[in-house]
Amino acid sequence: MYLELTEEQRLIQETAREFARAELEPVAAKLDRGEERETFFRNLKKLAELGFMGLNIREAYGGSQVGMVAFSVAITEIARACASTAVTVSVNNLVCDVIQTVGSEEQKKAYIPKICSGEYLAGSFALTEPGAGSDAAAISTTAVLVGDQWVLNGIKRFITSAPYAGVFVTWAVTDKNAPKGKGISCFLVEAGTKGLFIGRAEEKMGQHASATTEVIFDDCRIPREALMGKLNDGLHTAIVELAGGRVGIGSLALGVGLAAMDYAARYAQKRVQFGQEIAKFEAIQWMIADAYTELEAARLLLMQATFRADQGRSFYKEAAMAKMYATEAANRACYAAIQIMGGYGYSKEFPVERYARDARVTSIYEGTNEIQRIIIAKEMLKSLAQS
Amino acid sequence: MKILVCIKQVPDMESRFRVNSAGTWYEEQDLAFRLNEYDEYAIEQAVRVKEGLGGAADITVLSIGPDRAVEAIKKGLAMGGDRGVHIKADQPHQMDAWQIASLIAAFARDKNFDLIFTGLQSQDRGSGQVGGMVAELLGFACVTTVVGFELNGAVAAIRREMEGGLRGVVRLALPLVVTCQLGLNTPRYPTLPNIMKAKQKELLTFQAADFPVGDSLVQTEKMYPPEKKGRGLVLEGDVNELADKLAAILKEKAPALR
Repeated sequence: MYLELTEEQRLIQETAREFARAELEPVAAKLDRGEERETFFRNLKKLAELGFMGLNIREAYGGSQVGMVAFSVAITEIARACASTAVTVSVNNLVCDVIQTVGSEEQKKAYIPKICSGEYLAGSFALTEPGAGSDAAAISTTAVLVGDQWVLNGIKRFITSAPYAGVFVTWAVTDKNAPKGKGISCFLVEAGTKGLFIGRAEEKMGQHASATTEVIFDDCRIPREALMGKLNDGLHTAIVELAGGRVGIGSLALGVGLAAMDYAARYAQKRVQFGQEIAKFEAIQWMIADAYTELEAARLLLMQATFRADQGRSFYKEAAMAKMYATEAANRACYAAIQIMGGYGYSKEFPVERYARDARVTSIYEGTNEIQRIIIAKEMLKSLAQS
Repeated sequence: MKILVCIKQVPDMESRFRVNSAGTWYEEQDLAFRLNEYDEYAIEQAVRVKEGLGGAADITVLSIGPDRAVEAIKKGLAMGGDRGVHIKADQPHQMDAWQIASLIAAFARDKNFDLIFTGLQSQDRGSGQVGGMVAELLGFACVTTVVGFELNGAVAAIRREMEGGLRGVVRLALPLVVTCQLGLNTPRYPTLPNIMKAKQKELLTFQAADFPVGDSLVQTEKMYPPEKKGRGLVLEGDVNELADKLAAILKEKAPALR
C-alpha cells in the first residue's frame, strides 16, 4: 500500500496549482458574470500548450500521456480556481480519449493534435438530446448513408463548448430497426460543416464561462470516412468512455468543494461573534470536520479509480462510485461553507455562492448520480451472483 | 557555453512553521516543499541564455539536500535543464553558507562552467551569501540582486537592484556568478511532456561527504518567532492634520518616497 503521488504527478499537480492561482483564480468571478471571454479562451490555449488537454493521449498524437491519476489531480487544482475552465479541460480530454480509443489512424492524426495543441479551443461530446438524457439509447438523431456521404438530422442538447469546438464527436441512429441501443454509431463532425448549427445557449445556474448549447444537424453532410469505430456499435463506446469523464467530473467537484471549505474555514477563524472567533464554536467545527472528512474520502475514491485505470484494470464501478460520492460531498461542502459564512456566504461579494452554483451540476452531468447508483448496484450484484 | 544553476528546495511559504525541539531550525515534518522562488528565476534565465544561443549551451541543475530535493531538480530539468546533480545531505540546515558554497565550488571547480546562476537567497534561511562565496571560491566575478541580464558573446550586460530603489548597470566578462532577484523574468511553467521527459535526463548523485569541506564557521544558537510588538498606530483628529501626519510617517518609514 502506497498512497503517495509520484514525483512527476506532484510536479503536474504543482504546475496546475500555480497556473490556476496565477491565471485562473483572478478572473473566475468575472467569467462567472460573463466578462473576460477572451481571457477564458487565452487560458484554454495556454493550458493546451502546457499539455493539459491530452493527459492520457500518446505523444504521437500530441498528448502528454501522464495517466489518469495525474488527470484527476490536475482537474482538481484547476477547479479550485475555476470550474468553467476545469469542465472544458475535462471534456476536451474525454473527446481526445474517445478518438484515441475508437478512431482510425487518420482520424486520430487529424483531430487529436489540434485539441491537444490548442489549435481547436475545444472538442465537443454530442450525445445528449432533448428526448435522451440518462436514457442515451433513446437518441433520435439519424445518420443515413447517401452515396458517399452520411446525412445527419437531429438536435443535440446541453453540448459543452459547442460554439468554440473544432470537432464534434456525435452519436446518431444508423439502424432504426435494430433493438434499442444496438443501431447507434459515432461520427466526427467538423465545426463549420454545412448543415451544422449552434443553437440556443442555456442560461445556467453556474459554470457560466463554459458554453452549453444546442447543436442542430439539418441535412448535415459529412464524408463516409467520418464514421468512427464500428457501425452500430457507437453507444457502447459512449458508455465505456464516460468512465474517464466521470473521474474528471468527480475531480472537478472535489476542487470546488475544497475551495469553498478552505474559504469558509479561514473566514471562521477571523469572524468574531459572541466575543470569539466562530471557529471556536462546536457547531462550526462539526461542519468543518464533516466536510473535510467527506472531501478526503472523495479524494481517496478518485485516487483508487484512477490508480486502477493507470494499472490497466477495470475502473468502471470505481469511477461511478468516485463521481457519485465526490459530487455529493462537494455539494454538501459548498452548502456548509455558505452556512458558516452566513449572509456573506449568500452574497455575491464572496466566492462561496459561486462555488455552490458551480458544484450543483456535477451530480447531474456526465451521468446523473442516479445512473451512477444503477451502475454501482449492477456491478456489485453481478459480482455477488458470480460467487 | 556551460551553465550551472544552483537551486534549493524550501518549504511552501504558506506553511505553518514551528521551531524544532532543538530550537535551531524549523520542524520539517508535515511541511510541503517546493523550489525556492528566486532559484526559479535562475533556472529561467539559464534556459533563456541557452535559447538565445540557439540551444548551444549545456545546463546543469544542482541541489544540496535530502532525497526530496530531487523533486526540485526534476522541476529544473522540466523547465529546460539538461542534467541534474544531487549532492545528498540529510540535514543541510546544519551546514552554514560557507560549507554549502564550498560543496558547490568543489563540484564545479574542474567543470569549466562559464556562467553560474542562483537565487538571490533561499526563502527559508535567507542568508544571501552562497552565491558570492561560490564566486570567491572559484575566482569568478559576481553580480548579486540581478533584475536584468543580457549576454553578448563573452560579455554580460547586467542590471542590478541596489539600496534605496536604485538600479546599477554593469558589464563584465565571463566566467560569472549571478544571483537572481524578483523581476528578472517570469519563470515558465514546465509543460507536462517536459515533466515526463525530465525522468529520462541524467541525474548524478553524490554524497556531501564525497567533497571535503571545512567545519562550519557559523552555528545557529537559537531560533524563535519574533516577539509580538505593540499594535498598529491609530491616528486621530482633523483630516488635514491626519494627512500631514501620515505623509510624515510615510516619508520617514518608506524608502521609495524619499
